[in-house]
Amino acid sequence: MFQNPEIALDDLPGTEDLDWQKLHPDFVRQMQVQHALIALAPLAGATVISVLLHFPLTPVMIFWIVAIGFAIVFVSWPRISVPRRGYVVRDKDIVFRSGVIWRSVTAIPYNRIQHVETSNTPLDRKFGVATLQLFTAGGSGGDLKIDGLGAEVAEQLRIYILDKVGVSIESA
Amino acid sequence: MNQPDPVSWRRTSPLAILFFLGKLLRDIVKNAWQSLAPIAALLIASSGNIVDRLKIGAGVALILVIVVSVLRYWFFRFRITEDSVLIREGVVKKKQLDIKFDRIQGINTEQNIVYRYLDLVTVSFDTAGSSGDEGNLPAVPSAFAGALREKIGRPLGRTPTTDQEQHGETESAPLLILTWRDMIRIGLSDKRVLLVMALLSPLLDRLGDETDAVISGYLESATQGAMQFGVAGGIFMFFAVGIGVIFVLALISIAVAFLRYHDFKLHLDGSTLRSRGGLLTRHEVSMDLGKIQTLRLQQGIILRGFKRFVMTARQARSSHRNDSSKNFTIPVVTEELATSLRRRFLQQEGRGLIQIPTSDQFTAISKYSMRVPVLVNVLIPMLVTAVAFSIEGDRATLLFLLWIPVALLHIVKTWQHAGYHYTDEGLVRRSGTIGYRTVALLYRKVQRVTVSRSPLQRRKGLATLRVYMASGSVRIPYIKHELARQLRDVILYKVESSQKAWH
Repeated sequence: MFQNPEIALDDLPGTEDLDWQKLHPDFVRQMQVQHALIALAPLAGATVISVLLHFPLTPVMIFWIVAIGFAIVFVSWPRISVPRRGYVVRDKDIVFRSGVIWRSVTAIPYNRIQHVETSNTPLDRKFGVATLQLFTAGGSGGDLKIDGLGAEVAEQLRIYILDKVGVSIESA
Repeated sequence: MNQPDPVSWRRTSPLAILFFLGKLLRDIVKNAWQSLAPIAALLIASSGNIVDRLKIGAGVALILVIVVSVLRYWFFRFRITEDSVLIREGVVKKKQLDIKFDRIQGINTEQNIVYRYLDLVTVSFDTAGSSGDEGNLPAVPSAFAGALREKIGRPLGRTPTTDQEQHGETESAPLLILTWRDMIRIGLSDKRVLLVMALLSPLLDRLGDETDAVISGYLESATQGAMQFGVAGGIFMFFAVGIGVIFVLALISIAVAFLRYHDFKLHLDGSTLRSRGGLLTRHEVSMDLGKIQTLRLQQGIILRGFKRFVMTARQARSSHRNDSSKNFTIPVVTEELATSLRRRFLQQEGRGLIQIPTSDQFTAISKYSMRVPVLVNVLIPMLVTAVAFSIEGDRATLLFLLWIPVALLHIVKTWQHAGYHYTDEGLVRRSGTIGYRTVALLYRKVQRVTVSRSPLQRRKGLATLRVYMASGSVRIPYIKHELARQLRDVILYKVESSQKAWH
């Protein structure tokens, strides 16, 4: 029996009072280590070059002060940004929020997901986190990437979402 | 040969050699050096005078190319099974393609001038998520292509009724036929003309100067010191050359329009949209209405003068490339036709959507959208100019201030042309600076939605809504946060409750 009830706009489920799930507690540390490693490489390179080429001391000092300032901000940034990230797994879709200055909330309905991928780097494994990636059709960054989930959580989510995707395909 | 037969492997018509010849020649032009190296070696090795050698070389090259084309034709086999098209090809490196019917989004054909006399076509399959042009069937009878189209368009397991077959045979009345006037419109509104003109304009200046010098020198000696006339003549020449170049470009552009769109006809057979056109090579493009992701109406400054639009229907595109091959373009339509076509394409669901950019149904976006562009493109350049002037004291730096009115006009126009409009089933976004561009989409075909807010937007209660379709994303910036959220919730509701397929 075909039904087509009218839906009042206000009755639609919103995302205002969602219970945002936090990422893995060690993810901040993992990001900080990663950022520290990224920051270290150019600093080490600059040091070697300045020693080899006998740069005068004053510009090198200024460079170091500025560079260390940047590095401190860069390394401590995950402390601010990671708590702003969160996700909610709902019955029909998954919602992800991120951003400190530019904040965004993305929603992907399960019946649009083409495939799901979990991955982890060696550093991820050390901290027990993983990345979950959800692909939709159309490319152009047409996928949602959630970093810093607990490894088991990512795997559970992958199975849960695949199950949902399968159900939506069968019912269509 | 006229009916798809599921069992046997078979060849196409020997005229497919022409197709392989063309493809080979294109490849040779692309990789000219590698292809010509052995021939050059042969030339040097053989004895005799240069002309003879060249003759021999050309002959050998020709024979080689023909032999390779014949071989490629000889090794090309295809087979149509119950649910896929199988292709085996390759002389040295064998390749087997298996194109499943349900992956085929459209069947397009091309018919060059030779094939037209013999009623043959080259079929190419438009598949979702493929890279490059995989799958061509060169030189098959056009009736076969028609039968193939019928077979693939039909859901599996359903046998054609006589009624349907009749439908395939008799052509429905065209929705649109383009005339020679339309060719001129297409040609003149081609963006490439403007681009070439912009690129040529410095050259044109130089050219103008030189002809000016030559002509005025010539006139000077001819008229014995009639300087006035010489200068006037130079200016006249300059404009004449300029206008001449523009005229020639416009002619070329119109000729290209004739080549591609001559005798362009648009048909709607059931739910399949089909266009046919072209002077020497006839192109036939088809698209299923259900596969349309977004419908786009564009109007540049020249088309605005003609009161015409370009209409494009976009299909899902593959993930890695930004290919335009999955677009169905109707190069020139009037306002009324655009409206009636939209009604047919989006059917019931799109009934309330208005795509004509001048409609008063559009709501403007917030004026705060101009704040960041003004800061970046006006205030910062002004500051830089002021600093440069105070240091250098050179009056010439002030000339840079002329940039500011241009930038301001650009920003204001962009804001004025931006807008949106929505119904229960879909939305339309309007954008553009000089011209207009409107994109219509149905909520139920959306892939995902993002609502994002910058610090300024948070302070002013605004947000940017970004809707991702399988054909690309559509962004509506600087609308009320409340509205963005509501639209997102409605879109999610439609996507999650819709029983129809999005592709």
